[in-house]
Amino acid sequence: MLAKLRLWSTYFKYALSSILYNRLIYAISVGTIAISLLIFGAFVLLSVNVRTWIQGWGQTLSISVYLKDGIDEGTRERIRTAISTLQGAEIKGYISKEKALQDMKGMLGSQAGLVDGLTKNPLPASFEVAFRNADRKKFEPKRIKEALEKVPGVDEVQYSEQWLDQFEGLLYVLKVAGLAIGGLLCVAVLFLITNTIKLAIYSRRNEIEIFKLVGATDWYVKAPFLIEGAIQGVLGALIALGILSVIHLLLSFKTIQVFGLPFMDFMFLTQSHALGILSLGLVLGLLGSFIAIGRFFKF
Amino acid sequence: MALKEIDLRIRTGEFVFITGPSGAGKTTLLRLIFGAEPPTEGQIVINGINLSRISGTKLDLLRRKVGFVFQDFKLLSRRSVFQNVALALEVTGEKRSVVRKKTHQMLRAVGLAAKEEAYPIELSGGEQQRVAIARAMINDPLILLADEPTGNLDPDITREIMVLFRSINLRGTTVVIATHSRELLRNTDQRIIVLHGGKVLE
Repeated sequence: MLAKLRLWSTYFKYALSSILYNRLIYAISVGTIAISLLIFGAFVLLSVNVRTWIQGWGQTLSISVYLKDGIDEGTRERIRTAISTLQGAEIKGYISKEKALQDMKGMLGSQAGLVDGLTKNPLPASFEVAFRNADRKKFEPKRIKEALEKVPGVDEVQYSEQWLDQFEGLLYVLKVAGLAIGGLLCVAVLFLITNTIKLAIYSRRNEIEIFKLVGATDWYVKAPFLIEGAIQGVLGALIALGILSVIHLLLSFKTIQVFGLPFMDFMFLTQSHALGILSLGLVLGLLGSFIAIGRFFKF
Repeated sequence: MALKEIDLRIRTGEFVFITGPSGAGKTTLLRLIFGAEPPTEGQIVINGINLSRISGTKLDLLRRKVGFVFQDFKLLSRRSVFQNVALALEVTGEKRSVVRKKTHQMLRAVGLAAKEEAYPIELSGGEQQRVAIARAMINDPLILLADEPTGNLDPDITREIMVLFRSINLRGTTVVIATHSRELLRNTDQRIIVLHGGKVLE
């Protein structure tokens, strides 16, 4: 047991001294692994967040109630009351015709001049309504739409389910793209680690010959290279996670507002996702050096 | 094929020279005894162990009982004399204190106690060969194989090294030296095996 421990400390010593000796090659390799895992991690981070947002939106579905032109204040207040009686409904705001035009100008930006040519404001006034904590399955926007459109003064009701479905699609695309790009990057990382270890083996081939000469076991010769590979992979993964957390920190300073909905939190990777990326680095490192060793050693 | 129809028996504790012209198969014979390559036919038995029946780790363990010395010394240039010799014990997972003690002893025995911290490049050829012999001997091997061990050394140093081999042999280790040097063989009363064209002439 003690002899085993001594041998392992020797393996680590060899691995570390080899890394120091070939430090430039290792730095380049670890850097590239970090960048690859960073790209992969960014995809994971993005899809985790998009999923959370979608779940968040699912709980606060929103509808827009457009009003007919020229209705009086009494009618408008009756509509407001009608909306308030709906279960879970909360009026987020009233957008007047003028405000709607203003918003439109803002969205058009440099093309805002187009609106100036209008003789009459074509945009309707509207109430923005959110349904808090609504169960998406039980939520029946169609029924609400029909009910509200019967209220005098209401022109049309639009709801948000359509673009929610589109976001589900986006999530799927993100997942597939992440997996495809991640897979390709993994192959590249594997190739890189294999080559780095091959170079390390090559630069120590005389040493290896002498080790075998004095009766070192195959494992004694190979273990340091496996450790070198593992260190590369884990180091690359740690750097990638570090950069990701810095990016996350920078992004969370600016809370993101989408489609006039409540502020969204930008989440970091869950512990299991972070551990996943770390183990991916470890496995790639071990596998890469394993391949290199297999190609090189024929005792 | 470098060797043919070899039927050779070397007894425990013997001191044997293997000689013959270049390409006669001297090195191949030593490599076969060391288990560095397997025979295409027949078998090699060391201390009752049939080399063709073992492989992998068992072969590595057996190698610790067979020391090998080369013409070009095969020392690690990035390690000191002490570290070069200690290596042969370190690979066995021996305790550090034991490694230190035995390495000091061994270097004293070959007359290099004062050069423990030196690097191979700072040593003369004779000194480098003594480091290699110390490394080969530190695991108390049953057999010491030497391939042209004095090929790079001048006559005075050659005599010193041969005295060292004799004293190792006197302590019970079987010594097998491959050489084509007539000088080395002239004044010896040891057994000489002559190889020619891959066959034993004797």
